[in-house]
Amino acid sequence: MEQERKEEILSAIHHCVKCKLCSISSFHPNAEWLPLCPSGQFYGYQAFYAPGRMEIFREILDGEITEPSEGLLKSAYACTLCGACYERCKQITSMELRLPELFEEMRAELVKKGWALDVHKNIADKIKETRNAYGEKYEYKAKSTDGNADVLYYIGCTARYRVPEIADAMLQIFDKLGIKYQVMDEEWCCGSVLLRTGQVEAAKELMEHNIEEIKMSGAKTVVFTCPGCLMTFERNYPDMGVELLHSTQLLTRLGSMKVKKLGLEVAYHDPCHLGRDLGIYDEPRAVLSTVADIKKMKREREEAWCCGSGGGVKSAYDEFALWSAEERLKEAKEAGAAALVSACPFCKRNLKEAADKEGKGTEVYDIVELVNRSLEG
Amino acid sequence: MKMTRSLSKFVKELQTIVGEENATDDKAICASYSRDQHWHFVPAKNPAYIVRPGNKEEVRRVLTFANNEKIPVIPYSTGINVRGLTIPVHERSILLDLSRMNRIVEINPEMMTATVEPGVTFGMLLEKTKKYKLRPAFPDAPLTASVLANYYLRGIYQTSAVDGHDHTLSYEMVLPNGETIKTGSRSLSEMPYFRYGVGPDFTGVFCAHPGTCGVVTELTAKLYRLYDNRKEYFVGFDDAGTPRKIIYNLMHDELAASIRLVDNQSWLKGICGTFDYPYEKLPKFVLCVLVEGVDGIFEAKDKLVQEYIKESGGTVLEFPEEFKRTFEEESLGGAEKSCMVFGLRGNYHCIGLYGPLTLAAQYYEVHEKTALEVGIPQDHIHFYINPIYSFHGQLCYFELDIFYDGGDLGFGEKLRNYNEKQFQRLLDLGIYGWFRPYAGIIGPTADRIGYLAEVWKKFLRVLDPNEIMNRGKLF
Repeated sequence: MEQERKEEILSAIHHCVKCKLCSISSFHPNAEWLPLCPSGQFYGYQAFYAPGRMEIFREILDGEITEPSEGLLKSAYACTLCGACYERCKQITSMELRLPELFEEMRAELVKKGWALDVHKNIADKIKETRNAYGEKYEYKAKSTDGNADVLYYIGCTARYRVPEIADAMLQIFDKLGIKYQVMDEEWCCGSVLLRTGQVEAAKELMEHNIEEIKMSGAKTVVFTCPGCLMTFERNYPDMGVELLHSTQLLTRLGSMKVKKLGLEVAYHDPCHLGRDLGIYDEPRAVLSTVADIKKMKREREEAWCCGSGGGVKSAYDEFALWSAEERLKEAKEAGAAALVSACPFCKRNLKEAADKEGKGTEVYDIVELVNRSLEG
Repeated sequence: MKMTRSLSKFVKELQTIVGEENATDDKAICASYSRDQHWHFVPAKNPAYIVRPGNKEEVRRVLTFANNEKIPVIPYSTGINVRGLTIPVHERSILLDLSRMNRIVEINPEMMTATVEPGVTFGMLLEKTKKYKLRPAFPDAPLTASVLANYYLRGIYQTSAVDGHDHTLSYEMVLPNGETIKTGSRSLSEMPYFRYGVGPDFTGVFCAHPGTCGVVTELTAKLYRLYDNRKEYFVGFDDAGTPRKIIYNLMHDELAASIRLVDNQSWLKGICGTFDYPYEKLPKFVLCVLVEGVDGIFEAKDKLVQEYIKESGGTVLEFPEEFKRTFEEESLGGAEKSCMVFGLRGNYHCIGLYGPLTLAAQYYEVHEKTALEVGIPQDHIHFYINPIYSFHGQLCYFELDIFYDGGDLGFGEKLRNYNEKQFQRLLDLGIYGWFRPYAGIIGPTADRIGYLAEVWKKFLRVLDPNEIMNRGKLF
């Protein structure tokens, strides 16, 4: 790490006074104690809260930690990078400590030292082999309706290979609304999982390929149903001169659609990358409210509880990921919702798995599934 | 990456007591406990072991084990530590993280008490007491701080003057030899609601030793009423001396729930809940007054408060309604926005002390003088006063604050110089007591308290002959 960057990071670490208000949501005016840090809440040791994790990073940068340990790897990687700590710190102190980025850099430092998790290295290997994070054969059947369409739908690995109902729904929405679209013949993983797990170098080839493909497509707008992919394109890719939109932004822009209410009472779960990272809170709610009645949960928007699957946690610490999702499902139930709706394939997958495990009948959807269901074809 | 590591025999023993998941000597986990906000004074140091007991019996067994092995033990409640009190001094220390012990054992609305374990925070407690229209006394510490640790470390400088100073009624403490002692009425009955049981005030005797006597596992504290009738006033003054008269009058006649004199550039921002206001155009000091009470008494108090404000020599400030609401919440519901001060420059230093209101202006004067002498810029120097009921001795908590850039490593030297001079100057000027026995204070103070220092040391050695309890934090 360059000395200048190291000093910047240390300076940020020195600015944390360890009040730990970053670990709970806003207390006043309702005086409710609502935890906000999944890893701290689950594991308990100070190492799993942002202030403690920063101290570990400090010792790495200062050369005091010279060997990997189980605790080091767990503290570094059993964090969903949800960014709730950063938002809370910013709200209260106005400090810009940018914690998720700091913790990504911590992981990148570990990777440079050869201390990556095996499970994350395996993902990198799978991507290298198959160009998707799940190591699947390229078999999701989607065809462009118009090879010269202005709109390109970037499907993403999770919607292609784990929750294809989201990709199906999005494509059907395009058809129902008469929007011509392209999909990439060779869509490669956006690189998010590699970047989030510190494997920065391994992401470069993927990014170059996708940039080239998108440029060649001539599309003016790239639409994503995956906020992780969208955030990666926004933050990590160079400006390609195209507009990047989440599906809910596109649907909001289209204005009134011929949809009918489905008679469902739902809670909306803010995906971390969509909400805290990209500031997209209103559009998903606007779209969802046209097809369902939204029940408010206690922790929403900037203070949403993470579903538990991001930042490489789902692949490495599934028990923790599912616990976090169960907490969210409980909250939706307490709000009186029969279904929990998100706008992210990764959230849906984890929440659905937790709901199925729990077996208490909370339905889990992505917004585009409900929109597709209610759209008159 | 496969991690194979042989555990030391100590960790194995500790894991036998608290479970495999709750004891570790992992270097990274230990590193996460290595510093607190006070690191410019108390350098980073890793504990050797972190142990997270889940109940009193586990605490007892860990202490007995540590005592037999002569391993230092540092009690730690919820992790909101300042003053370096939980940063190890010695090698091979066990940090006893008590945050798993977070049961609210009892809320007794008829007795107006709460019994809590160390991991219960002010936020957790208020959430449960508010339905009885009761609240704990709050410090200006974040809502994430431990109720038990704050009360046990000493009575607190609560944000509500009306609560008085001492909130602790009784507690249970495990000693290094594994014996448990109960203070106050706990020693005689199942009723933990009275401070004085038999013999001396043992509840008080064991307080304020920052974890050097034993480990408090359960504490019963007073709760205070929440009233529906409330009104707030903000009165501006150009100096710290003029408001003395109105503070005296309000305290003498017991009229206000909260009375706080703050300067216009630090704590006032938290009290109002925003950085975005032209505070610099306000008078230098602002007296924040909150009146509350039941029907009839509230109106009478309010009328008198208004009369005292009129004759105070200050200027009544008209603030937006949301500022008033925030002041109420921060005073009677715990410090959340007040923690905005941490963002002023990214760290703060303070000397907290108890003294008489009569010396208010001198405390401020010496604070400013010393800070400027050691090269601290004027705009880093701040101050506040919280008077405390009942007003015998005109008791006030004073905080002499310096807000500085936490990333400025060189600033630590200025702060150390400030402390060295300031402790002596304050002792020369006259104080009632230090808020807590934090880093650097015990040395210069012990020289002045004569044989009491010897008695204190002997008292600790009787309880802890092997000197395992938070060793090095006092003597």
